[in-house]
Amino acid sequence: MSYILSLKELINTLTQAKDLLVEMFEKRKSFMYKYDDAAEVLSEDKIEILISKHILRRNGPYIEIDDQYQQFFEQILEVNEEINTSYINENIQQVKQHISFYLQENNEHRRYTYLKQIKASLRKIGRITLRNVIDLNRNIENAFKTEPNYAIKIARLEAFDEKRRAIYLLIEQTDRLASDEEIIFFTTALDEELKQVVTLLRGQLTESRHNLIETQKQIIEYLNQVKHQSRIQEKIKQVKYLKDQFELKAKTNIAQLLQLSNDVLFETRPAYALKLSLDYLQSDEGNDYIKKVAAKQKQSKRPAMLVAESIASKDLLPQTEEEIYIDLEEIKRGFAASSHHLHNYIMQYNYPRTVTYEEKITIFCQMVSMYEQELNIKEAFQKDEMVEYAMVVAK
Amino acid sequence: MSTAIKYTADIFEILSKGKFICSNSTEDAGRRLYTAVDENFDELYNYFIAIGFVLEKGDEYFYFSRNEVKATLESKIEQAYRWIDVVDFFTAFNSSFAPGFLFTPADILVQVKMDASLKDKLEIMKRLTGDGSYQDRITTLIEKQLCNPGFAELQNELTNQYKVLASFNYVKQLIVSIQIQEETAA
Repeated sequence: MSYILSLKELINTLTQAKDLLVEMFEKRKSFMYKYDDAAEVLSEDKIEILISKHILRRNGPYIEIDDQYQQFFEQILEVNEEINTSYINENIQQVKQHISFYLQENNEHRRYTYLKQIKASLRKIGRITLRNVIDLNRNIENAFKTEPNYAIKIARLEAFDEKRRAIYLLIEQTDRLASDEEIIFFTTALDEELKQVVTLLRGQLTESRHNLIETQKQIIEYLNQVKHQSRIQEKIKQVKYLKDQFELKAKTNIAQLLQLSNDVLFETRPAYALKLSLDYLQSDEGNDYIKKVAAKQKQSKRPAMLVAESIASKDLLPQTEEEIYIDLEEIKRGFAASSHHLHNYIMQYNYPRTVTYEEKITIFCQMVSMYEQELNIKEAFQKDEMVEYAMVVAK
Repeated sequence: MSTAIKYTADIFEILSKGKFICSNSTEDAGRRLYTAVDENFDELYNYFIAIGFVLEKGDEYFYFSRNEVKATLESKIEQAYRWIDVVDFFTAFNSSFAPGFLFTPADILVQVKMDASLKDKLEIMKRLTGDGSYQDRITTLIEKQLCNPGFAELQNELTNQYKVLASFNYVKQLIVSIQIQEETAA
């Protein structure tokens, strides 16, 4: 039962939904067109109408164009990938049937209707056959170039070969139909248009036939290539297996094979240590090169040795340098004899040269650390202007 | 002859190192050399045979061989063993690994991470790749085992894309011509 009552209704419905249908048709290969996406293109109630008219089909969260419509679109736009040979077959049967009706019918008007149908069918056969051949060629090429799986690739190519044979048979059949079988009809039906249609059909059939011969060659070549490829692959696997089992040398002729091959590839890379031409080196050009190489050989910037001046004789004479030395031992002795504590003593000591406060403190520390055993360091502390110091007295 | 002579030095330079001249080289210069050799094959053949090299024509590639034995059988077998490992690894990575195939080390890395057997193969080849991260090892493998002998070339430095050259068929052909003895029912 049809859900659409008239052609007008169909066209109107399709027009209203054209944006959505175009988009969905573009994405027909992905099978994943969401209802929500559709709702953005077209209002939901309109989508519901399309679904109720069975133009769209809802499947959970997804929707798709009904197969009937999709095939219709594909056929009209000539983008179908399916090659349908049964369709041609059916048309041939129809032509045959109509021819027999035509021959039996006496009413002129009805005969004319049959003739018209026959012409339509013949025209269709020609177009579809040619179309099928083109599709077949394209599909074969696609299958060969894009199908990654070898098993599937071979199966698909073989299936296409089968299709090719079927198309070829149909062409033969149509040809026979137009020339031998129904010769009575074609000679009796004196219709100018029919003649044109038949001529066109013959042309298309011949073209298809030529194309098919090419297709056959192509398929055979592709199949051979694929088989060759997979044979190589098998071979590689076998050889690798034997190699891994350390059986390669024993079980194959690899040794003899390599014995026979003297390809340069197997040799170690040669280094040609050729001597230079002496004549060349003596020429001006050679000289330039020698200089160049010599410049390269020379160590870059060797630091020039600086020669010192000769030592002046007066510098060789002995010289004395005097330094006033503060004798800590003497200070200790003086301190032991005094009754001062160490800090006080050091501050007041009559040094052989002027001594700064800091130096005096240093001397204090040196005294304490050097003569710790001989001094009595008390726990008591005192302060002067700058530092706090421990009371140290002689033992 | 003029063009052939012009290129003779370059041709010798490449081929005498055991490398190949391929028709699908990424560099213009490489392809030009291929055309030069192809067009003047007989002449160059005679020229090189006089200096002890046999110019050999493969499927879309040229290479040198010799009439006398220069390399020991052991070293040849060793080399062949290395190739078997390498070829097996790369064909396992992608079954369509053949001349014209484009790949990046990153592609291989992804595949290695997903495929345990591929990872295993890489582990076994430690001798060739050295230690280091998988990425380093793959890069070393490509550089040392594919690019150095001239089986592949870096095509795009930005994307780090390599191209398999026609010479790869040489190794494949070598492996294919190894005949495996049938197990006899003895």
